[in-house]
Amino acid sequence: MNSYLVIWLLLIVPVAAACLAVLQKSARVALRIALVGVGIELCLGLAIAKRVFSSGAATAGAEWLRLDALGAYNLVVMLVVYFLSSVYALFYFGREIDAGKLVANRARMFAGLWCGALGAMTLVFVSNNLGIMWVGIEATTLLTAPLISVHVTRESLEAMWKYILICSVGVAFAFMGTLLVAAGARSMGIESEHILFWTELCRNASVLDPAFVKAGFVFLLVGYGTKAGLAPMHNWLPDAHSQAPTPVSAIFSGFMLNAALYCVMRYVPVVESVPGLKGWSSSLLILLGIVSILVAAVFILSQHDLKRLLAYHSVEHMGIITLGLGLGGLGTFAALFHTLNHSLCKTVAFFTAGRLGQACGTHNMSRLSGSMRLSIVWGGGLFCSILVLIGIAPFAIFMSEFQILKAAADNQAMVVAALFLVGCGIVFVGALGHAMPLAWGDPGDARLALPARRAEAAIVFLPLAALLVLGLWMPASFKHALAAAADVIKQAGAVQADSMFSIAR
Amino acid sequence: MSVELILTVVVLTNLRLLGASRLGACIRTVGLQGLLLGLLPLATGGRLTTLHVVVLAVGSMVLKGFVFPRLLFWALREAHVTREVEPFIGYTGSLLIGGFMLGGAVWLGDRLVIGGTTDLSWVVAVAMFSILTGLFLIVARKRAIHQVLGFLVMENGIYIFGIGAIPGIPLLVELGLLLDIFVAVFVMGIAVYHINREFDHMETDKLDVLRG
Repeated sequence: MNSYLVIWLLLIVPVAAACLAVLQKSARVALRIALVGVGIELCLGLAIAKRVFSSGAATAGAEWLRLDALGAYNLVVMLVVYFLSSVYALFYFGREIDAGKLVANRARMFAGLWCGALGAMTLVFVSNNLGIMWVGIEATTLLTAPLISVHVTRESLEAMWKYILICSVGVAFAFMGTLLVAAGARSMGIESEHILFWTELCRNASVLDPAFVKAGFVFLLVGYGTKAGLAPMHNWLPDAHSQAPTPVSAIFSGFMLNAALYCVMRYVPVVESVPGLKGWSSSLLILLGIVSILVAAVFILSQHDLKRLLAYHSVEHMGIITLGLGLGGLGTFAALFHTLNHSLCKTVAFFTAGRLGQACGTHNMSRLSGSMRLSIVWGGGLFCSILVLIGIAPFAIFMSEFQILKAAADNQAMVVAALFLVGCGIVFVGALGHAMPLAWGDPGDARLALPARRAEAAIVFLPLAALLVLGLWMPASFKHALAAAADVIKQAGAVQADSMFSIAR
Repeated sequence: MSVELILTVVVLTNLRLLGASRLGACIRTVGLQGLLLGLLPLATGGRLTTLHVVVLAVGSMVLKGFVFPRLLFWALREAHVTREVEPFIGYTGSLLIGGFMLGGAVWLGDRLVIGGTTDLSWVVAVAMFSILTGLFLIVARKRAIHQVLGFLVMENGIYIFGIGAIPGIPLLVELGLLLDIFVAVFVMGIAVYHINREFDHMETDKLDVLRG
């Protein structure tokens, strides 16, 4: 099949699946259609990614759509997470349908919006026009907002309102940033149709107007940073993550945040090549990353709600990815590696937390204690995933965090390295303090054991096993793909970044 | 109609929004602003009136001038409210702050010079003023409807900047933007309706269960 055809199919399949799912009478059938749609999308994504990694970027629609190594890598990570979550959603909502807690039309709405959001995120990765990319991000906000209140309660409505208002305003800032970058490009005589094409901007970066690009990047960072949950723009995130039904939380944390960060990644090479701005964007990214890590660390200490705890972990990990991106060189590679690790692990953590919460009717950690006795799959899976999240060796998250630390040391940014270690240390101690009683504490009243199907055990333990393997041994083809994706951002050696942090310079 | 005239009326509508307490009046003012902005691409000098421009103008006028006000009036009726409750910042204070914001925006408009274009300082100034007004409304008012209006005013500001300062943004992008705003207002309207039903009010400062 031609690659341009595959790119178009990537956009058509989710929309078709969404339409089909909404038209179904039975809730279960709608959920199954969503799963099948995501499965087809996953196959298509893997096929096109393989081609992109072996023979370079694929384009379609007169260069409006373009999938390069960076996009393909993110696309595959997203589709894997989406597929796992769709399988989980089938079981999760299946139980709610049996218990009469979910009526058919809400389930249909869920299935439709779920596929729609997949289409919007795919659009983000395949569009070459930065304006269309923005449209994709804003569309994900709008499509996922109703997903938070699949169950209409006061808390979920409050979370949804905060989410839609804060993120819409934030993303509007990002559009202003996009326009400012375009304004900076006006004088260089690009045909106006192509003024927002990423490829054009990259090619002509050296003649962009620095003042406009600078102003634009600040807007972009604040805007997409809001959507990515970077502190101090993260306020919506814990509420939305804790109130949404678990499959939605998993997608929010596992991939929607990364999609917004991906947009920032697109602009980094452009801004870095503008004369006089070398290192400027990196230092902003490092600052924002460190702030996110530290803020999240403080909040993790004082959490009582399991899903909020995991949500603050997301803030921390987005901070780590941003930090790696800012450090450049090995840091960029590690940041992309960390994207995969965090997405897989966080998805599993939400799966287990959600199932326990569903069974016990609460996400309060003191009432969930002793979960290991309840079920080895869910309780044990939760404990393992929290351990992986806080960076236990030899899992992959440890490796990527170690690489980021090494990147900081390579840049002689010792203060950054120290702050990063302090943040991770606080998170390690804080989360472990929550996780121990959660796994082995006294359950109080005797509760029924929670059975888990084989497929459910598989979606919990296979990703964890994959993370273990990746931590110990990285296949050559995967390494090649990661390096190709990092090359797109290519900031190699771009880091006189942090004059404000480095002391040993 | 000349561009300057449209932009000046936009500034006046912004000031009216800052000073008005009745929600119905605010919705109408935002609707008027939307209608005016629909005329803006037709009025921008030196640009041929192509199909692209006409589609954009008509689409934006219908949406911002008629669809949004109707939707918001519907939400208002469902919620049985007509006035803003005690706002965080009073109306006189809001107008004073509005004056300062206008001054700041004009200063910024003079500073940002876009290469290869004629004098655009007034366009940039009005765009910035609208963005600031929108943000201010979102922060300083309690009613959920007022925050939706603030969001719309802010989007209008960005739209002015896009149309005025960077002609030639492709149609597809502009239509995408318009569609996104439409869905945003739609979803927000539904949310206001649900919030009102669950909470018996639509004051966002009382949405404070989730914290920490």
